[in-house]
Amino acid sequence: MDEYLNMEVKEVISKFPEAARVLDEYNIGCTVCNAGSCLLKDIVEIHSLSSDEEQELMAKLARVVYPGRDVKVLEVGRKPKAKPERVKYSPPLKKLVDEHLLIKRWIALIPKLAESLDVNTEEGRQLVLQGVDFIRTYADRYHHAKEEEVLFKYFDENLEILKTMHADHEKARSHVRSILQAVEEKNGEAVKEHLNAYRELLTEHIKKEDEILYPWMDRGLSLTQVGELFSRFNELEEQFQTVPEKYEEFIRKLEEKFR
Amino acid sequence: MVFEGCPGSHTLDLREKETRETTPTEKVRSQLRQWPIQLHLISPTAPYYQGADVLLTADCVAYALGNFHTDYLKGKSIAIACPKLDEGQDVYVEKIKSWLEDAKINTLSVLIMQVPCCMGLVNLAQQAAERSKRKVPIKSIIVGIQGDILSEEWV
Ligand SMILES: [Fe+2]
Ligand SMILES: [Fe+2]
Repeated sequence: MDEYLNMEVKEVISKFPEAARVLDEYNIGCTVCNAGSCLLKDIVEIHSLSSDEEQELMAKLARVVYPGRDVKVLEVGRKPKAKPERVKYSPPLKKLVDEHLLIKRWIALIPKLAESLDVNTEEGRQLVLQGVDFIRTYADRYHHAKEEEVLFKYFDENLEILKTMHADHEKARSHVRSILQAVEEKNGEAVKEHLNAYRELLTEHIKKEDEILYPWMDRGLSLTQVGELFSRFNELEEQFQTVPEKYEEFIRKLEEKFR
Repeated sequence: MVFEGCPGSHTLDLREKETRETTPTEKVRSQLRQWPIQLHLISPTAPYYQGADVLLTADCVAYALGNFHTDYLKGKSIAIACPKLDEGQDVYVEKIKSWLEDAKINTLSVLIMQVPCCMGLVNLAQQAAERSKRKVPIKSIIVGIQGDILSEEWV
């Protein structure tokens, strides 16, 4: 089993598709993750399973990997999770989760924006550029900077889960560059394509952070670190002054427009 | 069990468990690094509060919590108060506010007993935080009469 524990989860799943079903049973959503480069052994730790659940999961995976061999499955009488418990985040991580709310409101507007998109008019182009400005200023410089330059530094950046998060941020940046280029070339189809790709990427990225990454980080941060993070976030927010209000207003107006 | 009157002063006899527990073979070292500790007596800007993780502890807590020194007091600065009996609690709010704004404390953990009146101490901390321009993470920890931690959550 050890050889598989040190393997990337997407490799395990591609070798043994049944493993995806087993992971799903434990609300471990690696099947849909676009990176899937976390190691199988890390996944168990990151998803905060109880030790009984962990043994049970491992036994079930072992059955999938070595069919026909007699592998004991420890039954712990686990109730199927009706809905995940409401997570109580520490104050600094709660700030990030709250920022995700505005980003999610933007993401929800993308389909309508793409539908009515006309890059041949100045007005149409301006609208896309305003959206790009929201992504670059609010989602990237304001929000991702808190993650990359502050929060992630408290952890080992060689961890697969952090590399995945960084890679997602980079992918988002590259979609933005493609959108800008497509606007310049007045290529409406390409604008739509990258807007939608951005939407899919960020939807999944935010879900991973809210449900897996942040709760895991909260379990690892000391009280002192929570206090430090909070005041460093506050300092950053002071530098950005009215940015949050300005972009909240932008989203509100856009929602009105597409209502 | 029928409770009459204030649950905070209801009589409970816990003598049964007193000898069951082990006595530590090593002497437990005090983790207190300051004096005074009573909230009326302390100065909120004393050096040991600057940038510190601060405990605001209800008077009774340290008697109920077996490992108070090692698990909670260690590495922190402290003040104690009783939200039920103490007078001049406006001064308390001002002092807590001064921790946040002047001493720029890092975090505030409010340790209280499970009895309802003890929530008053968390309320004092919240009032101070509302009035303060500077915010810090505040955690409330509720201790049971038998010394168990009943809840620990961010306010
Ligand atoms: Fe992120
Ligand atoms: Fe994020």
